[in-house]
Amino acid sequence: MTVSVYVPAVLSVLVAVLGRFIAVRLAPTRWTTFTVVGAAVLCASGTAWALLLLSFTLLGFTTFAVQEASERGVRLVQPVPGVVGVLAVIMLAVGVVRAVKVLRIRLATRKELRELCRSCGPGELVVVPVDEPHAFAVPGRPGRVLVTQGLLALLDSKERRVVLAHERAHLHGHHHGLRAALEVCAAVNPLLVPVREAVAFIVERAADERAAAVSGSREATAAALAKAALAETGQLCAGLGFITCAVSARVAALQAAPPRPKPLWLGGMLMLGVGTAAAAVQATLAFCRLIEWLWPA
Amino acid sequence: MSASPRFRARRAAGALESEVLAALWAAHQPLSTAEVQRAVDSELAYNTVQTILSRLYDKGLVGRSSDGRRHRYYPVKGAEELAAEQMQALLRRGPDRQGVLQRFATSLSEEDAEALRAMLRRRR
Repeated sequence: MTVSVYVPAVLSVLVAVLGRFIAVRLAPTRWTTFTVVGAAVLCASGTAWALLLLSFTLLGFTTFAVQEASERGVRLVQPVPGVVGVLAVIMLAVGVVRAVKVLRIRLATRKELRELCRSCGPGELVVVPVDEPHAFAVPGRPGRVLVTQGLLALLDSKERRVVLAHERAHLHGHHHGLRAALEVCAAVNPLLVPVREAVAFIVERAADERAAAVSGSREATAAALAKAALAETGQLCAGLGFITCAVSARVAALQAAPPRPKPLWLGGMLMLGVGTAAAAVQATLAFCRLIEWLWPA
Repeated sequence: MSASPRFRARRAAGALESEVLAALWAAHQPLSTAEVQRAVDSELAYNTVQTILSRLYDKGLVGRSSDGRRHRYYPVKGAEELAAEQMQALLRRGPDRQGVLQRFATSLSEEDAEALRAMLRRRR
């Protein structure tokens, strides 16, 4: 338990690095998305569980274990210092509070948008008379596509098809759910914030590729993206996060040849996730052994 | 990457309805059926466009005015005006909320903007 309980933190860093690499280099297929999301979820649950185990050590049995060991004449490595337990409780509490907050904002916004769409009547598409160009996918049953008139007026027929296909791809791929999952993961384990950004990028790329396939033109897709991005007023990108400035990366990817999937990297990513979960299981077993040793049945 | 004919053949009725509606909103004046056909996809059958327009009319999403023997179609802006205000209020509410919205495009740096402008110029 002394080592395996800290392994999830180390592996989270590796997952973050590899996730970013995969987002930039690999074809944004369904498998890519699911692998990265799966690895992140395993990683976050492993970390949360490890924090929980560390928190349990505050119950006082670790000092008891050390005393017991010296009485029985066994050499026992000090399992977990008290400070670590306190830190674990704080981190876990902060993580849970943040996760709940993130989910509540998400649900509230989604509900608001859904009601807004419902007020505009039936059908898939809702157009609102706003000049600024925006397009959103609004998940629900059925999912809706919300577009501003300003965006439609900017584009030709093929580019309009691109926007509709892009938003529809978000709905079909359950991209909102995947992003919500990653937000919870990153709230619990801040080391996974880069993976959240990577998934946000991958789902945009996936929707772009789908739109390119539906419209039959990668150029039209790139042009629609460029026009929409250029027309968005007064929102120059402040940070350097690669998702806030990702439009250029997406346009560049569309101008290049369609990317190919590379299963080896995906396998590596999944192994990291599985590794985290395995470390959590290992830590749990060690925890149980310690308890059993102290209080034999 | 020429998957387009296959996709086009299978394009669902719902998707076509959205495309026709989008074309009507993009136009600045009411359109006749032939004009809608041209604005959406000239390979579409005239009758298909006509069917979709009457379906949209039945749903109350599209209005029409008679101009001699032909109908001209325009988008109905009823609840949409209110929805526009609500949407802008939502967008103003800050980055916390905006992060939730799955947007088509996000903002740009100045250099990136210049590169995109150059790309669009080359395309023309």
